Amino acid sequence: MKRVIIIGGGIAGMRSALRLAEAGLHPVLIERDAELGGKLRNWHALFPDFTQAAGVLDELRTAVARRGIEVHTGCTVRRFDARSAELADGSRLEGDAAILASGFTLFDARIKEEYGYGLYEQVCTSADIERMLNEGGLPAAPRRIAFLHCVGSRDEKVCQKHCSRVCCITGVKQAMELKKRYPEAEIFNFYMDIRMFGPGYEELYREAQLHSNIHFIRGRISEAAPTFDGRLQIKAEDTLTGRPLRMSVDLLVLLVGMRANADNAALAASAGLELAPSGFFAPRDPFLGNVRSAAEGIFLAGTATAPKTIGETLNEAIAAADAAAEYLKTR
Amino acid sequence: MTFYAPFTLPFIIGALAMFLILGIKWGIWTSRLTKPQKRLLLRNLPTRRFLAALWESVREALLHRRIWRVNPLLGYMHTSLAFGWFLLIAVGWIETLVVIGPRFVPLQGHVFFKYFATELPHDPFFEQTMDLLLLFVLSGVALAWMKRMRARMMGMRRTTRHVAGDRFALTALWCVFPLRLAAESLVCALHGGGGFLTGSLGRLLAAHLSPETLAPLNEAAWWCYSTALGVFFVALPFSRYMHIFTEIPLIFLRRCGIRSSEKKGFFDHFQIEACSRCGICIDPCQLQRTLGADDVQSVYFLRDRRYRTLRRRVTDHCLMCGRCAERCPVGIDLNTLRLNARTSLRNIPTDRRYDYLLGIDRSAGAGRVGYFAGCMTLQTPRTLRAMERIFRAAGEEVWWADRDGGVCCGRPLKLSGEVDAARKMMAYNTELFRRHGIATLVTSCPICLKVFREDYRLEGIEVLHHSEYLLRLLQAGRLALQRGERLFTYHDPCELGRGSGIYDEPRAVIEAIGTLTEPAETREEALCCGSSVADLEITDGEQLAIARDVAASLERTGAETIVTACPLCKKAIGRGTERPVADLAEVVAEALTQTA
Repeated sequence: MKRVIIIGGGIAGMRSALRLAEAGLHPVLIERDAELGGKLRNWHALFPDFTQAAGVLDELRTAVARRGIEVHTGCTVRRFDARSAELADGSRLEGDAAILASGFTLFDARIKEEYGYGLYEQVCTSADIERMLNEGGLPAAPRRIAFLHCVGSRDEKVCQKHCSRVCCITGVKQAMELKKRYPEAEIFNFYMDIRMFGPGYEELYREAQLHSNIHFIRGRISEAAPTFDGRLQIKAEDTLTGRPLRMSVDLLVLLVGMRANADNAALAASAGLELAPSGFFAPRDPFLGNVRSAAEGIFLAGTATAPKTIGETLNEAIAAADAAAEYLKTR
Repeated sequence: MTFYAPFTLPFIIGALAMFLILGIKWGIWTSRLTKPQKRLLLRNLPTRRFLAALWESVREALLHRRIWRVNPLLGYMHTSLAFGWFLLIAVGWIETLVVIGPRFVPLQGHVFFKYFATELPHDPFFEQTMDLLLLFVLSGVALAWMKRMRARMMGMRRTTRHVAGDRFALTALWCVFPLRLAAESLVCALHGGGGFLTGSLGRLLAAHLSPETLAPLNEAAWWCYSTALGVFFVALPFSRYMHIFTEIPLIFLRRCGIRSSEKKGFFDHFQIEACSRCGICIDPCQLQRTLGADDVQSVYFLRDRRYRTLRRRVTDHCLMCGRCAERCPVGIDLNTLRLNARTSLRNIPTDRRYDYLLGIDRSAGAGRVGYFAGCMTLQTPRTLRAMERIFRAAGEEVWWADRDGGVCCGRPLKLSGEVDAARKMMAYNTELFRRHGIATLVTSCPICLKVFREDYRLEGIEVLHHSEYLLRLLQAGRLALQRGERLFTYHDPCELGRGSGIYDEPRAVIEAIGTLTEPAETREEALCCGSSVADLEITDGEQLAIARDVAASLERTGAETIVTACPLCKKAIGRGTERPVADLAEVVAEALTQTA
């Protein structure tokens, strides 16, 4: 049976593995963490319909287990090509083709020091919110919450020129979740653009304004500083009215973007792949070759190539698996 | 003896034209100095400063000591041309005096003495000395040739691209000395005499050519020599060679305490025309070495400003890091000239724009020590928190000028050329500081520090950078720090190091905490982080390229933590490296022991 190495055991890797197994091939899943699931393990509910992340994840993980797919967890890939992957401990796994589904890294909000993440306890990231919601809620009921969009996205100052796409809708979703739990809280979203590109997104955005009473202010926050009474003062500009504003909040949520993994360059060099200027892997072309790479026998799936939603990632995982199966037929 | 021959005419006309133009230029510039500048000149010139200026003129205008420090071969080249030529004139003068006694000799009589002195007795001492001096100058000309072809040989990676006028004057100058050698050798061939150089060449020529051939050649050579001189003299006031006669008055005016200011003035001409376009400022420029921008360096800025062809890009594309000024052999105040060129482009009187400043006071606390974070420290709150901990640990009562927001110090606006608007902010902050009765003002931003010290009138308030303040606290035993094994490297911020001369204090503080290792280019030679607020043209990508360059040089020290003492540098370098970049205050706060 032909073997396909899959680098990354998140949703893209698992979905590709299942598809390959259905096609009668032998997928080999390699995951850096101790268990499968990737970033989704830490997520609470998914936009746009608040599906529980755990449900999606469990279904995928159960299917992988039932199929008896070969899984190597706790293994980091040092270098690879279409025929093999070398792990950090020096061991090698052999294959006939490879799918790269290594995902992304969350932007480290501490780089935007002016927002005080890691410095003031009132500041957290969107990922922290998901974790807290999984753990049962915020430590204390906030009176006022500010969400800041585009932290580590569309920001040349931190070398992140690209849009991370999913943060806009995540901000709307989390604002609504918090409003539901803390109906007394005033919630503000500070944004430069709101990009509601997916099915149901625009509707959710509208609902947030009409029914959840969530305020949207066009303008980015410039800095945050603690006040003497334990709150946080933020400075911003409402660019629609052209007025500077100050506001005291109990919680500032930074909607952190997606960054290319730090080891992308090393992996690309080992496999003969190409990187986009954003640092993500570049597909052969954006159309008919969008899951193929510059190297023969290596396919790309999910957020390894660019920020994507979960739905898009799952579709691409199937497409990459099919392309790999097609490739192996001719060999 | 009449000391006249037709061939001397080009020289006489050239020299007269040159002195006329020089007189006009100097006359206009000096007469239009401001009143306070004139007072400084009259008051300070007849003092010891005169002697100091005289000595500096010898050292710099003749010997070019500062260029020797850049590269010895380059120094020799400049010395041989300037000092050699000066000695040729001076010794020639004495020779005339000795040979024909004390009587009036017109200018061309001295310059072309060999031509006129064929009937006079030879003085072998002077003949040998003059030949030696000529050889000295010729060696400089030869080196200048080589420099044009291979600048690297003289420690310069790049040399100036000259305009046509400069190349023309340069050619005339390079012709002067070989032609002098030819003319004097031909005279010796016809009439005998001469030293080891002209005499030997003369005998060689006499052995191979008949006097009938030599005579017209001799006339032609003197015509050429005189023409080369004449052409050079006419070109001089309009070309880069104007520096020969401008550097000396510049030295005297500077010694009298006259400086360029944030607005253009007539003293600027002395600085601008004292630039010899040697190009020493090109190599240190990071816009050149990292970004490949090769038309904005100080040499090109001064040239374009002088010829009134200055473009906005040249004026605005400068980090004002001061690395070129540090190297400038003429000591031209390059940053101020760049600044006042911007002022004339951009300074728009603003009456209403800053009305909102009136009556705002968001300061907090009370104490004899005031702390001004500055805009950039508010953007890097780790530094601010660290200062809070340090003040607490030292038991200092602090008045917080702008912790909850304040008014900018004004320097970024000043650097962009909007000096009048900047003055409004300065007036606001000055009044604020006075109102709260502080005795010491501490800031952690070198940009603010520089403007507080140079532009604010804060008599009675001592302004300190936090590195100086921290060192004082340590020396007074008010902070107890845990010294560890950590290896640090330190990045000198431009405004703190070259800008304010503070190099040792931050280093002393770091050494109280751990071990300090220095990057290859440090202190006066330190690199700029690239994010200077002074560059109005640079793109974000270019800033990043410089930051990566600087970060790489700091990483090469092997230090685990990069320390700096400027919030802007910290942000900039942090983008270029994975290693931790911390402000001095942060590492001090981390090292505080609980007992303190």
